[in-house]
Amino acid sequence: MEFLRKIFDNAHEKLNSNEKTKKFFPLIDAFDTLMFTPNHVTNKGSHIRDAIDLKRTMMLVIIALIPCLLFGIYNTGYQHFRVLDQLGDVSFWEIILKGALVVLPLVVVSYGAGLLVEFIFAIRNGHTVQEGFLVSGMLIPLCMPADVPLWMVAVATMFAVVIGKEVFGGTGMNILNVALTARAFLFFAHPTKMSGNEVWVTGFSDLKGEKYASLINSSNPQGIVDGSSGATALGDLASFMQDSPVLENTQAFQAKYSLMDSFLGFIPGSVGETSALMCLIGAGILLWTGIASWRVISSFFIGGFIMASILNFVGGNGYFELPAIHQLMLGGFMFGMVFMATDPVTAAHTNTGKFIYGFLGGFLGILIRMVNPAYPEGIMLAILIANVFAPLIDHMVIQSNINRRLKRLKTA
Amino acid sequence: MDLVNIFIRSAFVDNMIFAFFFGMCSYLAVSKTVKTAFGLGMAVIFVLVVTIPINYLIENYVLKEGALSWLGSEFSDVNLSYLTFIMFIAVIASTVQLVEMIVEKISPALYGALGIFLPLIAVNCAILGGALFMQEKQFATIGQATVYGLGSGVGWFIAVVLIAAIRERIRYANIPGPLRGVGMAFLITGLMGLAFLGFMGFEI
Repeated sequence: MEFLRKIFDNAHEKLNSNEKTKKFFPLIDAFDTLMFTPNHVTNKGSHIRDAIDLKRTMMLVIIALIPCLLFGIYNTGYQHFRVLDQLGDVSFWEIILKGALVVLPLVVVSYGAGLLVEFIFAIRNGHTVQEGFLVSGMLIPLCMPADVPLWMVAVATMFAVVIGKEVFGGTGMNILNVALTARAFLFFAHPTKMSGNEVWVTGFSDLKGEKYASLINSSNPQGIVDGSSGATALGDLASFMQDSPVLENTQAFQAKYSLMDSFLGFIPGSVGETSALMCLIGAGILLWTGIASWRVISSFFIGGFIMASILNFVGGNGYFELPAIHQLMLGGFMFGMVFMATDPVTAAHTNTGKFIYGFLGGFLGILIRMVNPAYPEGIMLAILIANVFAPLIDHMVIQSNINRRLKRLKTA
Repeated sequence: MDLVNIFIRSAFVDNMIFAFFFGMCSYLAVSKTVKTAFGLGMAVIFVLVVTIPINYLIENYVLKEGALSWLGSEFSDVNLSYLTFIMFIAVIASTVQLVEMIVEKISPALYGALGIFLPLIAVNCAILGGALFMQEKQFATIGQATVYGLGSGVGWFIAVVLIAAIRERIRYANIPGPLRGVGMAFLITGLMGLAFLGFMGFEI
């Protein structure tokens, strides 16, 4: 500890001794405050004494994300070997290694690109580095498909940080969730790399060329071994809306992606979103430490559940008939609910507003996913829409409070 | 079901602001507070709901090729469609005059807040755009045309109220100098459009 402290003190001194290097102060300060509690002390009177500043909050969210990250690494490797049909031959550590080689570069690139932008803005504007990106930088790789090219992650991250956040004045001012802005940007700018059935399992397009070439025949036009398509579970589900669905009926779907597998997360999907269990562990940490709002999480879940039940009730095709609870375990619903919708900046700020906001997000998420076969991963867009509606919801809640009190004043 | 789909399409999918960027001038100008945005949004809904059915009738019984055949067989090959713009604008302008008088009578405060933008609805591209899209889409019944007008109006209303609420929230944000005001409004509109792409291809 002493040793680290000395390094930082030394660096501060060196930077401050020269006029030219003074503006790089935020660079050192960021690492300093990351390691040590910030040593800013209020001058007059003492206020609330609590070690939890923005940086600690962000660190807690990252800790809550670690189960998702670890499972994402395992699942990326697992899906790769599942498609190769080699699951029996490889050991646990080989799976982890394969996944880590894919996922860790995503994390590094996302942090590198985002923090670069943050540092440039901090130096340009002369303030200390804002910590908001710590969480976004972890969320971005977790909501990307495993096979997305690294340069796209970098471009999307920079777009999201600059247009989604910095132009609003930085952390705490943005209106759209930064990680989701990055994902939506890529989704619409490079749809072939962000959807379809080749990007979700790492190395799938190469595999198809080599391994399956010999298997292609008229009854198996894609040359795919039984049960190993590269699509996400939701992608397969959405195919019920087409003339020739991948699976014959909902029972076949439930056999392929059982409720247990969907809950534990052994299904293809974005890196960190597949496991509902890991998301729930994260939710537990966030709720226990009081960082995420239980209002948003509960109403988001209820909204999604009600919409899925309505569609169950309407029925009609195999798509709508999947049991509601299974529906919610698939895709990014749990991940979005726990980590994206609860973002305290972009969610509604009032307590009543949080219920409405969460409900809207969950409801729209399932609606877009089901009614619009082009966007099976509709949660992302639903949360963005809910983000856009959040200021209006707040306005309405505050306005109705004012009106109620005015009325009380008049009658009194 | 058909009417519901027309409504959803015009309000959310082909939103006047996010899909076509129509009516931007008044959208940017009055979206500083939710209250004025609400007032102008209602006015736009009203004007669209009134003018589109009228224009539909004019289009189908006066302007379109062969539309005058109800006068007699000698008129069946008359094509007045070159008068489209003048006729549509005339209808819109007179309706807007009506709205202006009503608003001035009912709510002088709103009238003052909307200022020049109320008469400017007459040249709001969303209104004429709605009429021209109506002509292009060739709706089968006047009911469909009315629902289309209502949907377009509601879409514009939602957009303007949403951005007004957002602009109220970011009023104290530390936005870089050159972007303050309209520049930021454009960026926010783009980001909102990104979110609204989620409705694309929506059908019930």
